[in-house]
Formats: sequence, structure tokens, C-alpha cells
Amino acid sequence: MTDDLAIHSVAKSFGGITALSDCSLEVRAGSITALIGPNGSGKTTLFNCVTGFYRPEQGDMRFGDAVLVGLRPNEVVHLGIARTFQVTRIFKNMTVLENMIVPIRQLGLRTLFTAGIKGHERQRAEELLEFFGIAFLRDELAGRLSFGQQKLLELAAALMAEPKLLMLDEPAGGLNPVMIDRLTAYIRELNAGGMTFLIIEHNMGFVMQLCEPVLVMHRGRVIARGTPDAVRANPAVLDAYLGD
Amino acid sequence: MRIDRRWRRGWPWAGLVLFLLVPLVQPEGFYLDLLMFTFMYAAMSVGWDIMGGYAGYVSLGHVGFFGLGSYAAALLLVHLGLPVFLTAPLVGVMASILGAGLGFISLRTRGPAFVIVTLTFTYVAQLLMLDLKSVTGGSKGLFLPLLDLPANLVIVPFYYAMLALLVIAVLVSVAIRRSKFGLGLIAIREDEGKAEASGVNTSLYKILAFAISVWFAGTAGALHAQYLNYVDPDLAFELIITLNLIIMSLFGSRGIVWGPVLGAFIIYPLSAYLIFLLPSRLAGQVHLVALGIVLVLVVMFLPDGLIRSYQAWRRKGPIDRRPVEARASIVEAAG
Repeated sequence: MTDDLAIHSVAKSFGGITALSDCSLEVRAGSITALIGPNGSGKTTLFNCVTGFYRPEQGDMRFGDAVLVGLRPNEVVHLGIARTFQVTRIFKNMTVLENMIVPIRQLGLRTLFTAGIKGHERQRAEELLEFFGIAFLRDELAGRLSFGQQKLLELAAALMAEPKLLMLDEPAGGLNPVMIDRLTAYIRELNAGGMTFLIIEHNMGFVMQLCEPVLVMHRGRVIARGTPDAVRANPAVLDAYLGD
Repeated sequence: MRIDRRWRRGWPWAGLVLFLLVPLVQPEGFYLDLLMFTFMYAAMSVGWDIMGGYAGYVSLGHVGFFGLGSYAAALLLVHLGLPVFLTAPLVGVMASILGAGLGFISLRTRGPAFVIVTLTFTYVAQLLMLDLKSVTGGSKGLFLPLLDLPANLVIVPFYYAMLALLVIAVLVSVAIRRSKFGLGLIAIREDEGKAEASGVNTSLYKILAFAISVWFAGTAGALHAQYLNYVDPDLAFELIITLNLIIMSLFGSRGIVWGPVLGAFIIYPLSAYLIFLLPSRLAGQVHLVALGIVLVLVVMFLPDGLIRSYQAWRRKGPIDRRPVEARASIVEAAG
């Protein structure tokens, strides 16, 4: 069984507002899948359902053989699904290195009381920070990094959990073109190593050059799926973005 | 540099040796009493800080565990004849088990709700001790048998017991701070949702932290009851005890091992001296007002506490009070 993410008929509403309705999609292992759609189409709600922050009212979600519905966020991480947030979330009053260590998987009570930062963990963290070009900031408080550096740190820290599927919520938001090029290169390299990506993004240039397939959400469900070119030419997608 | 490091590592041990010697020089009197209570408050503040400083959950329930610890030790002594010096750590364990239970319920809440739940726990525990008259003596309280020691030496074992409690508190706090558990607690304080998304089992961490945190309150309560040879609901559940822990931790610096210790070593002697100086009919009220003023001043002018403020001043001069976002980035944007 490969580690595909399969979402079937998921529904979630908040009061009278339906955020997800009969939402189904599949993310194939090894792909860089984009999830696009107008604001309010339910993309981030779907992320929150998959990662255990929201519990869907109905539907089924599986990662490989594992059922995701009902799991807490930390349990989802341990299955191999990590995420970043739309608004960058890092531990601002912890050092960059400490930010990297927090996501390391804890196994039982015994490991809780082991050294905060072990040698091999430091080495792995340093390698990742090096990979993203921010190793020189390892001892700085994370809150003092620039916006772009914080984005990279959040991404690097998510990788410390050694995820099979990494879900990125608007990773290119607010980044300058140079940083976006670097981010694209990082994602490609990680994907070449076998990591699956599910990316929410509004920057169409970024999506079109990096992702395939592209899934389009509108009013809480997936309305189109295909190559970037096919999606771009789909009248339903144009309608969703430009229609009422 | 090496001397600096040696000093930093050596001074707590030097202090410990000094405190171990004090009763040999002065086995009784005001100053020994002062030091003993300072140790007690310091140990409890360090314990409180594991929850309030590391995990960021402000508890007003610690005095509830202190009071229950007092009663548990007193009852074990009065009914079963078990000496408090033997039962105190076990009473602490009972407090921890109860704390884990309370944590299981209360730690589902955050912020003010958690504060209210812990405060409610204190009052419920107090009412329980007040109403269970047949067991606890109700408002009359319980009298504990005196220790079989000359009156002028009675304080000495309590002095060493409280010192031991403080040493244990500091060692536990250091161990937690250096462990993955400590990193996880700080991550919870910083952003609980993000910590959970990073794989931290936040419920387990918080319950464990709360259980460890209240062990010190329960154990101190047990020793305190025997020291006074008396326990009643007003004395054992006095809210000022928890307020002291909070003020001491804030004043010294929350979330730093030595912060609550420093806070206790400054606040408690000053409080005791103030009470000593004032006429007894005024001392209680003036002391409360003074604590309130200290709390307001600390929150307004020293929100990071003494140690953090000093560290910031030593690193970069005056503290930059602007929000992090408004400060100039120390490094140019990458890329």
C-alpha cells in the first residue's frame, strides 16, 4: 500500500456556513499536488481536517492504510503528515535550533526526559538549516528573523518530523521572486527524494511551474483536476474564479 | 571566560554549602525561620514555574495542593502515627496524582478559564476540609503532636527539609529545562496549536507538568503543618500563598530555573521584614497592599522579570519593548 492521501465525501460546516461539502480528492504518493481555488473555497478547512485540527462531520480520510478521522494533530504528524500554516507559525521566543528540535518524534515517556538536543539531532537540524541557507542563524531567537527566513524555518522544522506528506499552506505568500525560486528548487529536490507535497497557493506562476496535478476547489468541493494547462482551460475553473 | 563559567556553575553549590552551615552557627531565631520559609517559597515557586513559566499555564490552585498536603500529613500523623518527615514526599505524590486528575479536566481549558478552574479547586478543597468536621475538625482545625526535640532546636530539621525540597526543585527544573519535555512545554507556551502540529502530545505534557509542579506544593504543605503543629482551613488554603508564588516567579523571571528562586529570596525576606516592622494590627493588611503594589509594578515596568531584563541589558543595552515585528531584523533577508 502506497502512502496516498484519500479523502472521500468529507463535510464540515461552522454554524450555518458550509465549508466542505461532499469533498473528495486523492493525493498520489510522490506527487506535488496543488490545491487552488478562490478565497473561502474550503482549502484551509480541508487542511485542518486532514491534520486533526477540525473533525469532519462526515466522510472518510485515509493516509495509506491509516484512518485520519478522529486523530489529534500530534497523532497525524506521527503518521508522516506534516504541515505549515497560512500565517507563518514559529516559536518566536525559542532559538532557531530549538524550533528545529521540537518536531522530533517522541516515543513514549522515556524519551521525554532525554537531552533536549542530542548530537545527531543537532546534526540533522544543521543539515536542514544549511539546505535552506539559514544555518548561520541557528542560535538566534526565531522571532528576530525576517519574514522570508521565518517561512524557511517553518518549512525546515516541518521536515525534522521526516514526513512522507508535507502540506504547505501558501508557502510563497509574501515572498519575493528570488525567494520563490529558491523555494521551488527546494521543493523539487525534496520531491526527488520521495516526499509528497500538497500545496495551497494563490501564486499561479508558482503553481503552474511546480505542481501536477492541480486540484481546484470551489464552494467546499473539488470541481476540477488535471494538468496545469488542462485546469487553466477548464471553463468551470474560470467560472469559479471570475463568476458570481 | 573560564572563570566566568566556573563561577556560574559553582555559585549554587557554594550557596548550598553556606546554607548547610547556617544552623550550625545559629540553630534558632528569626533568621533561621526566615531562611526556612524562604526555601519553602522558593521551592514552591520553582514548582509553580514548571507549569506557569515553562508551559505558560497560570495556576491559582497550588495553594489547594498545599492545603491538602497539610491535611493529609496531619491526618496520617494523628490517626496512624506516621511521622511527617516520612510521609511528606508521599503526600506530595498524592498531590501529584490528584493534580494529574485535575489536570486531565482543567487542562482542556486555556487562559482565564484554566485560572478560574484552578481557583475553584482551591475553594472546593477548602470547603471540603471545613465541612468534613468529623475527620478534619472543621474550622477548629487539627493539632499535631510536637516533635520530640528541645524547643530551641525544633526548627533545624524543618530548615534542612525545606532546603532539601528547594534543591530537589532546582534539580528537577534544570532537568526539565534541558530535556525534550522542557522544550515541548516551552513550545506549548509559545503556540500550543503549532506545538501540537509539530507532534507534541500537548495533553500529556501539560498533565505531567502539572503533576510534577504540585508535588512541591503538597510536600511543602505537609512539612508546614508539622512545623506549626496545627492546620486549619484558613491557614492551609490562604490564597496569598499562591499569589506569593506568582509574584516571586514574575519578579525573578518566569520560565528560567533561577528566576523564581531569586524572586523568593528577595520578596519573602522583604515581606517578613515588613510584617516584623509594622504593628501587628496593621501588618496583614499593609503586607497585602505592598504585595499588590509589587505585582502591579512588576507587570508594568519589569514584565520580563529581573534575570531576563538583566540578560537583555547585558546583551544589548536597554530592553527593546517594541513588539518583535517592529524591531529591526538583526540579519538581512536571505536570498
